[in-house]
Amino acid sequence: MDSWEVLGVLVGVFFIISVLSMLWKDNLYFRLGQQAILGATIAHTILMNMKNVLNIALIPISKGTIILIVPFILGLMIYLRLVPKYAWISKYTTSVMIGVGTGVMISGTLRGQIIDQVKATVVDIFSATNTYTVLNGVIIAIGTVTAITFWIFTREHKGVLGISAKIGRIFLMISLGANWSGELILYLTAMVGRLIFIVNIFIKSVLLGIA
Amino acid sequence: MSGNKKEPRIIWEKLGDLDYRWLYGLSIILMVIPIIQPIGLPTQVGEATKGFYNAIVNLPPGSVVCVLFSGSAGYADEQEAGFVATWKVLFEHNLKVIFVSTAVDSEIILNNELGKMVNPESYGKKYGIDYVRLGYAPLDEVGQASFAQNIRGIFAKDVYGTPLDEIPLMKDINNYQKIDLLYFQYLSCTDIEWVIRQWVVPYGTKAIVSCTTACGPMAAPYYPKQIQGFIAGSGQGTELEILSKNPGRGAVLSDSKNFGILGLLLFIVFGNISYFGKKFGKRGE
Amino acid sequence: MSFFRYQLPTIIVTTCGIIMLLAFFTPFDIFTTIKANLTQWMVVIASTSIWLGFLYMCNAQYHMLKRNPTRSQKILFVTPFAFFLLFFIVGISFPKDTNSPQYLWLFNNIYSQVSMTITGVMFFTLSSAAYRTFRASSIDSLALILGGLIYTLRLIPMFPYFIPWLVPVGEWLLLVPNVGGGRGAVIAAALAAMAVGLRTLWGREVVLKEG
Repeated sequence: MDSWEVLGVLVGVFFIISVLSMLWKDNLYFRLGQQAILGATIAHTILMNMKNVLNIALIPISKGTIILIVPFILGLMIYLRLVPKYAWISKYTTSVMIGVGTGVMISGTLRGQIIDQVKATVVDIFSATNTYTVLNGVIIAIGTVTAITFWIFTREHKGVLGISAKIGRIFLMISLGANWSGELILYLTAMVGRLIFIVNIFIKSVLLGIA
Repeated sequence: MSGNKKEPRIIWEKLGDLDYRWLYGLSIILMVIPIIQPIGLPTQVGEATKGFYNAIVNLPPGSVVCVLFSGSAGYADEQEAGFVATWKVLFEHNLKVIFVSTAVDSEIILNNELGKMVNPESYGKKYGIDYVRLGYAPLDEVGQASFAQNIRGIFAKDVYGTPLDEIPLMKDINNYQKIDLLYFQYLSCTDIEWVIRQWVVPYGTKAIVSCTTACGPMAAPYYPKQIQGFIAGSGQGTELEILSKNPGRGAVLSDSKNFGILGLLLFIVFGNISYFGKKFGKRGE
Repeated sequence: MSFFRYQLPTIIVTTCGIIMLLAFFTPFDIFTTIKANLTQWMVVIASTSIWLGFLYMCNAQYHMLKRNPTRSQKILFVTPFAFFLLFFIVGISFPKDTNSPQYLWLFNNIYSQVSMTITGVMFFTLSSAAYRTFRASSIDSLALILGGLIYTLRLIPMFPYFIPWLVPVGEWLLLVPNVGGGRGAVIAAALAAMAVGLRTLWGREVVLKEG
């Protein structure tokens, strides 16, 4: 490893340990790491997007696609949010973004997330080839219907609706448990990755010189 | 001096009120053990991973795969096994691959991994003919809607500055029509809806997705009717490595995760012993 | 003036949204072309408005320092700006910009290390939360614990090695009850999103009336 690589490892280990120090208690080193990543992230995001402005807007405008001046100006108008007297002008930009985003979202939601999901739930039962898959299909259908009833808040959960909502809550809890376990494994993987870096790269390669 | 003597705390109360730092310390020690002494246990392949793999290998030769890559520096350990194994499978088969970076970290990760961890030239692939890199653009849902309709509206040139019209692979490709499979690697759990709403529903494009482990349960409702397969996190990335016979970093990470969870399991047991001990202890009084 | 502040932005939202819906639901090419242009504009706007993050960071840091003008807070005030300048200057100064070895050194040894460690630290936060809350006090919490633990154990290679039934049970949990609950949540969320979306296009949402 050359000296820059070694310095990089030392800097990396410093930041890893400074962030991990928050497990003991909140301290200045952890906050330094936090603030460092804040500044670095913003710089990185700006650097990556600066080229896009050139390639997607300014260069085509210079080559004759004048219409692209409109989104460029809309993008600049959003900075007026910071000036209270003229903040209302930035609403034009957000209006275009909200309108386009909402329209694009609704057009796909109806079929993709409602009709196709209901269809899949029903088809699962009737296209099943054996008792086990029929049973699974029925369980999925029960879970889907009862979970939807859980989200009805315009009526009190009493009687049939109450029982259905309770069953739906159990299915949602199982889903939540699976999501929780996924998150746990995600964070465990990240932590293990840092420990592998400390043990294999820092301790073995840098300190002990083992390849 | 009169004073209230504190009643000695019974074991149930102590078990339910342990200092978190014991849990942290125990977890770290348990995580380090398999790093120092690897165990090497096998991993079993799940159904969603098989669906993901089959969606790629069953493509006819010459099919075009568009890779929408949202790599993140913060989730690199989690994502690496999956996307590296997938890229190897893509290059092993006679497929054309278009790489697009959709997150700010993606382009640098792509540079770090493509050419080093996965070298297309070693599979006999040529840039511009078998694969191409279009570069980075902030493609959220609306951006993907735009990309699906008009690729050149977002990327007039590739990452090296060559106009797309001069790249043989991209000559006839400008929208969803020539894309046979979409491989979407995403970060936030609800991003899968973008692919469903902007690719699958309007154009019927076949899609496979790769996400973090946390997002796997949220991708499951769309499998297999709307997405052909999904790999969630480094665990399923390891499964793909095994299935495609391309060993990689996933196996190292999977091995090291073996003991890390034991500390938490122990504390959950303690917490429940404390709860039931207090509950039945009160009833007994 | 109130027309330009309130009514005109609402008209813009409604117009853009309806064009997106017409592009999806009708066979007329004119709407598809306008949709292609408008969605392209969003990418331009997103790239152009990227400095807003930096300006908000300046504002937030200033207010934090004003609330608490201690020595450590002054250090924390300077840190994000220092790292911002470091990354930004290195990112634009060397050939190949963000692909230069110098920038990659910063990216790999500071940015990546801090990001991954912050992700890893979440494991401990989640663990301590689970220790507190994973108590089998009701059917719902039992469903949460079982869903979470079974799927967690299925994902760690050691447990299926000694307990082989964890794999089929974990897969079943992911693809049957989790799908039941998840589908219900997807459909319910989609219905709610459509309702909010249609209210937004109708101009009834509060967010459009602010400012």
